[in-house]
Amino acid sequence: MSSTELNPPRPIVIWITPPGPNPWKAVWLLEELSLNYVVKSFRFDDVKKPPFINVNPNGRVPAIEDPNTGLTLWESGAIYQYLIEVYDTAHKLSYTDLNQRHLCNQWLHFQTSGQGPYYGQAGWFTHLHPEKIDSAIERYRGEIRRVLGVTERVLSEKPKDGEKWLVGDKMTFADMAFVPWNFRLAEVLTVSEDEAWDGFPLTRAWHDKMVATPSWGRAMKLRARLMDEQGLQWNGVPKGIETFTEYETKIAEAKEAESGDIKVVKV
Amino acid sequence: MSSSSSNIHLYTAQTPNGIKVSMLLEELDLPYKVTQISLSKNEQKEPWFLEINPNGRIPALTDTLEDGTTPINLFESGSIMQYLVDRYDADHKVSYPRGTPEYWEVNHWLFWQMGGLGPMQGQAHHFYRYAPEKITYGINRYQNETRRLYGVMETQLAKSKSGYLVGDRLTIADLSCWGWVAAYHRPDRQKTETNTMAKKQDWAGVEIDEFPHLSAWLEKVLARPGVEKGRNVPEKHTSLDFKKLSKEELDKRAAESWVRTESTAK
Repeated sequence: MSSTELNPPRPIVIWITPPGPNPWKAVWLLEELSLNYVVKSFRFDDVKKPPFINVNPNGRVPAIEDPNTGLTLWESGAIYQYLIEVYDTAHKLSYTDLNQRHLCNQWLHFQTSGQGPYYGQAGWFTHLHPEKIDSAIERYRGEIRRVLGVTERVLSEKPKDGEKWLVGDKMTFADMAFVPWNFRLAEVLTVSEDEAWDGFPLTRAWHDKMVATPSWGRAMKLRARLMDEQGLQWNGVPKGIETFTEYETKIAEAKEAESGDIKVVKV
Repeated sequence: MSSSSSNIHLYTAQTPNGIKVSMLLEELDLPYKVTQISLSKNEQKEPWFLEINPNGRIPALTDTLEDGTTPINLFESGSIMQYLVDRYDADHKVSYPRGTPEYWEVNHWLFWQMGGLGPMQGQAHHFYRYAPEKITYGINRYQNETRRLYGVMETQLAKSKSGYLVGDRLTIADLSCWGWVAAYHRPDRQKTETNTMAKKQDWAGVEIDEFPHLSAWLEKVLARPGVEKGRNVPEKHTSLDFKKLSKEELDKRAAESWVRTESTAK
């Protein structure tokens, strides 16, 4: 941060492993709100080991520690609500009235329970599972299309010439939450961008507008750097290891080993 | 909480997600109207319902804002629960004041249930119960994940003095998990795995006996009158019935059919 007045005064610590989408959901919000934060980047191999397991007993990233409030928090959805309530006091990305406040939360819940898990399972069965199980792949691809259909329907009901956002007339944290997984849509479905978005033009335009923000660009630049530093391929598997199963076996074998380096990145 | 002025209307069905909201409404002692949505008739995909919830899932809830006229439609059980405590739990009977550490801890458990326990146990149900083709890998994957998630709850509950997930009281974090854990309950006798019909009486083949604090929590929450009332909306909650049955009764039930439709009118 270049500003002389850091907000908040002491940096929020965010724990991440670089490959998955959820860490970037949180990093993007920190960027978009211009908050003072540091990234603790570590290897996926170590999510179930100390020190991270002491931060989040669920062993999943992201998690944050905010020394300004003394709070430790995990689950990207809960982190979103926290950052918005505590630090979006100017309501750049949120609203003050009861109705819109809860509609934003509703879409955030839909994203965390409806979008994330199904995109995640589709990605697993398509890219990481060694054996091709067509019915499972089809099941989760169907869910992805269904989820895209829901945002498409809602965006289509917005005034024709007006701004098209999920709630009200501006981008909120509810819109933002959908980006990290939709950013991987073509990859998850293993098709071209045009094919992936076919039938969902409004959702695509909505998504494109968000990935064009400078803050998302900064987050993705940081991701590329951290992925590279850990020697990871695009799918999160270390270079030199063929499959995720092989990677899991390696992690299991090294279970007793100490956690690897945690890299602290000043942003 | 004076509850005379509610225009709450709940659209629901007898599922782990549906009863979260009715249990909370009962715990808060709020009056509400109920419309049962028939999932077998795919009523949740009807145009009139999609107007309330474009996602076509239950539960959904409508209410009017404080002016008494402006309508609000909400879907996603987690968001509905947050709305209800924010608006109607001023005494913090089942919540904590905004901004307190406990308030945020409730939220991470709530999202943990919404994004983890619910979807993953739901997939276990799918592969174990509904999938037309038996995919062993799918069954194992989601049963193992569910077991892992139960373990995370067990660790948290083992540390808890109150027996609830966060702080000294029941919160929406507990209510959001309860219906899911209850749906996994299986009778002791199924451990033998000799009777395949009996195995079908649990919903996804994960035992909770190995999690003593979780088992105690299941009973503790069940003992609350509000939960008792709310879990039976819009019809009888049957997930836990099997455990009260004797071996003979279980055999008899297993020999009949494991799917039963209770048509208790509300």
